[in-house]
Amino acid sequence: MSELAIRRGAAPALALRDLRYAYPQAPRPALEDVSFEVAPGEFVLLAGRSASGKSTLLKAACGLVPHFHGGEIEGEVRVADLDAIAAGPGELAAAVGYLAQDPETQVVSTTVAAEIELPLEMRGDEPADRARAVEEVALALAIPHLLDRAVDTLSGGELQRVALAAALATRPRLILLDEPTSQLDPVAGDELIWLLRRLNEEWGVAVLLAEHRLERCLAAADRVIAMEAGRLSFNGSPADFLAWARNADPALETPAARLFSLAGIDPLPVGVRAARQTLRGMGVAHPPNRSSRRVSDPHPQGPVLQAKGLWVELDRGEDPRDVLKGIDLTIRPGERVALMGRNGAGKSTLLRTAAGLHESIAGKLSVDSIALLTQNPSDYLVRERVGDELPGDAGLAALRVVGLEGKVDADPRDLSGGERQRLALAIALAGRMEGEALPALVALDEPTRGMDHARKGELVKLIEALAGDGAFVTQQVTKATGAAVVVATHDVEFASEFADRVVLLGDGVVIADGPMPEILSGGWYFATEVARVLDLPGVVTPEQGAAALREQGP
Amino acid sequence: MKSPFAYQPRPRPLQLASPGASVAYLGAIVAVAFLYSNPLVLIAAGIAATSAGLIAGARRAVRLALKMGASLGLLIVVVNALVVDRGETVLARLGEWPLFGRVDVTLEAIVAGLSMGLRAAVVLVLGAVYSACVDPDRVLRALRPLAGRSALTASLVSRLVPVAAADAARLRDAARLRGPGAAEVGKAPLARRLLAGSLDRAVDVAATLELRGYSLDAPRPRNRRARSRYDRRFYTVAALLLVAAIVGRALGADDFQTYPAVEIGLGSATLALSALIALSGLTPLRRKPHRRASQPADGTKVPLYGGESSRRRGSGEVARV
Repeated sequence: MSELAIRRGAAPALALRDLRYAYPQAPRPALEDVSFEVAPGEFVLLAGRSASGKSTLLKAACGLVPHFHGGEIEGEVRVADLDAIAAGPGELAAAVGYLAQDPETQVVSTTVAAEIELPLEMRGDEPADRARAVEEVALALAIPHLLDRAVDTLSGGELQRVALAAALATRPRLILLDEPTSQLDPVAGDELIWLLRRLNEEWGVAVLLAEHRLERCLAAADRVIAMEAGRLSFNGSPADFLAWARNADPALETPAARLFSLAGIDPLPVGVRAARQTLRGMGVAHPPNRSSRRVSDPHPQGPVLQAKGLWVELDRGEDPRDVLKGIDLTIRPGERVALMGRNGAGKSTLLRTAAGLHESIAGKLSVDSIALLTQNPSDYLVRERVGDELPGDAGLAALRVVGLEGKVDADPRDLSGGERQRLALAIALAGRMEGEALPALVALDEPTRGMDHARKGELVKLIEALAGDGAFVTQQVTKATGAAVVVATHDVEFASEFADRVVLLGDGVVIADGPMPEILSGGWYFATEVARVLDLPGVVTPEQGAAALREQGP
Repeated sequence: MKSPFAYQPRPRPLQLASPGASVAYLGAIVAVAFLYSNPLVLIAAGIAATSAGLIAGARRAVRLALKMGASLGLLIVVVNALVVDRGETVLARLGEWPLFGRVDVTLEAIVAGLSMGLRAAVVLVLGAVYSACVDPDRVLRALRPLAGRSALTASLVSRLVPVAAADAARLRDAARLRGPGAAEVGKAPLARRLLAGSLDRAVDVAATLELRGYSLDAPRPRNRRARSRYDRRFYTVAALLLVAAIVGRALGADDFQTYPAVEIGLGSATLALSALIALSGLTPLRRKPHRRASQPADGTKVPLYGGESSRRRGSGEVARV
């Protein structure tokens, strides 16, 4: 905890005592028996699976629960000594800032400067004070160049920073963040976490951060709180958390911790630096990274997608911009390709162009039949019954592929998040299959946003089935050669689990294309945590890393 | 892709003027469109609205609004021609129609529809110019001390329009990506889905406004944003337009009759008023930098800023050119 934070006040930034909360008409409480404190200037990481109560807890801490959502609440919530149950979110705004997962719904003004200024104006600050605060927070978040921009011209990462700036403009004592990196590429995600750490250290802002990708932020945290079914299941240091997770909930383990667990090394590392220090202490050498040999093409069939010198221009309201700049790419049947790159690199545009949503301005693109699932599966669901979305034999065949043939009469809104995603995929597949044969190319755009590790595992199985590596979910359909599956993703750990090839885009051009182990072990940002720990060519997963460590010996 | 109707900050007079001035100027043209039915005056108002939008840089918004206005105007003309059978000049007798009864298409009904369609198109273009050129944040700030709840509602609406447009675009894309074996999306389910999504979005945006302290009854800060140097121009033109419109009506400038026979007044008052209205569309023109002295007769350029004469100002001498 920083000294500055301690000077700013002895009262906890957040104190919860015996908190119990149930949403209106909910069969069971979303939070039960929750008690903990966040000290001034402390950085606390909130871990847990989907629907464990993390978001509700954050909303209770900023007053949205119960003031905005209603429901029944018991217990005590104090934010910087203010009673959050009695005071509304507006009154708490001076003491607490809140940043939700989707930045698009968190901006209410047309320009960046107006957005940051809004909470200060609402508070009645004088124009001179507002101008200074806007300038300072913009400098702190490195966004002064964005101040005159219209908010709807910003990228996801820029928008997230602007929303954070608006939340920080009143200099709150506590900032609450609900999966703020879920839509960011690895570079922007890491930048945001270390920006939070810097604000935490230099401004003394207490941070309560809910995240699924723990490997990204565990090293920055002072403490970890884990939740399960609305209750606290762990409250302690990051190192103790890893030891607890190993036995209690392995899905919460970070890749580096899993690597050490599998290799039988203690203590478990909270980050890459700690892991490297432990390995150095054990005398494990780090050979210089060298390129592995390219594997021969395992898919000799004709391509299902071939792009040659593909240029695509998009007009997002400002000047038209070339998003794809002469892409050359060939994808063959059965390949599992992770399409990676920074926000705005052109991943979605490439998939959307292949699916016919955009037109190219130059170059050639040939695609066999393609089924594309965009970033929001809910956009595909417009009816109240699964069977109404997918009528007839073609619909049933598509439902069988994704394992939902038993849900024909269900309301799509009653399905789980993973099931809704599979239903949307079935809608994209329906009628594009010849009998049980899949379309040549199945493309998924950022399918893991907001997913916990368990759901990602289910998605990996589905991708493997689509690519023909195993039986389909229903066990009814098997194919010698499946569809080529292309997934645009920021999640390097997920890519290491499903992909056999990685195509890395940078500013509209292909900057790397090769076997997954080679690409994800040969860089820094686009590398798995295990690859960053071991720096061994081709070693990207905990299992591979543990095997390599066992080979090398201490 | 950004909606062409979304506000885009540009360093042009209409965008830089205070919201009151911009609204007064555009509102004066709207008032003219509602006060007059004479097609010549309405065409002049349309020219003013289009010029103002183009000069302010809202080319895409104006173009789209003109297309939408033309479609809407045409629809009004057709409906009026089918529904109204007044008028002396019968162009076509279409016999008995279900619901409509006996349908006679008259020249007078077409001209009356044209007048109404023109008015609708003018208002549509002005709405597009307002949406693309007037900063909603500044309008809401100006409104908030006067009517907090209305301003909150307006905040939600102004933010939700571009968000709903983006949602609609996404839903349209998803509809295009459905496999041929999936059910057709259909307009009604799509509209329901868009409405449900918009309500969810509204809740999110309202929550954000709460978190920003919108519900606080904070004191109104002093020294609000300085007025723009363009304000006087827009207020003056707005006042001039309104006075001219009222006086023009008194002098018979709206001389226009559709039934039983078409009579369009083209008197001097109508022509003068139309010219004035059309010229008012040039109000958002940016004034060229004012040169304080003529260039030497030999054609050599005298620098106004940063040249020798400017540098001499710093040494305490008065620059004379």
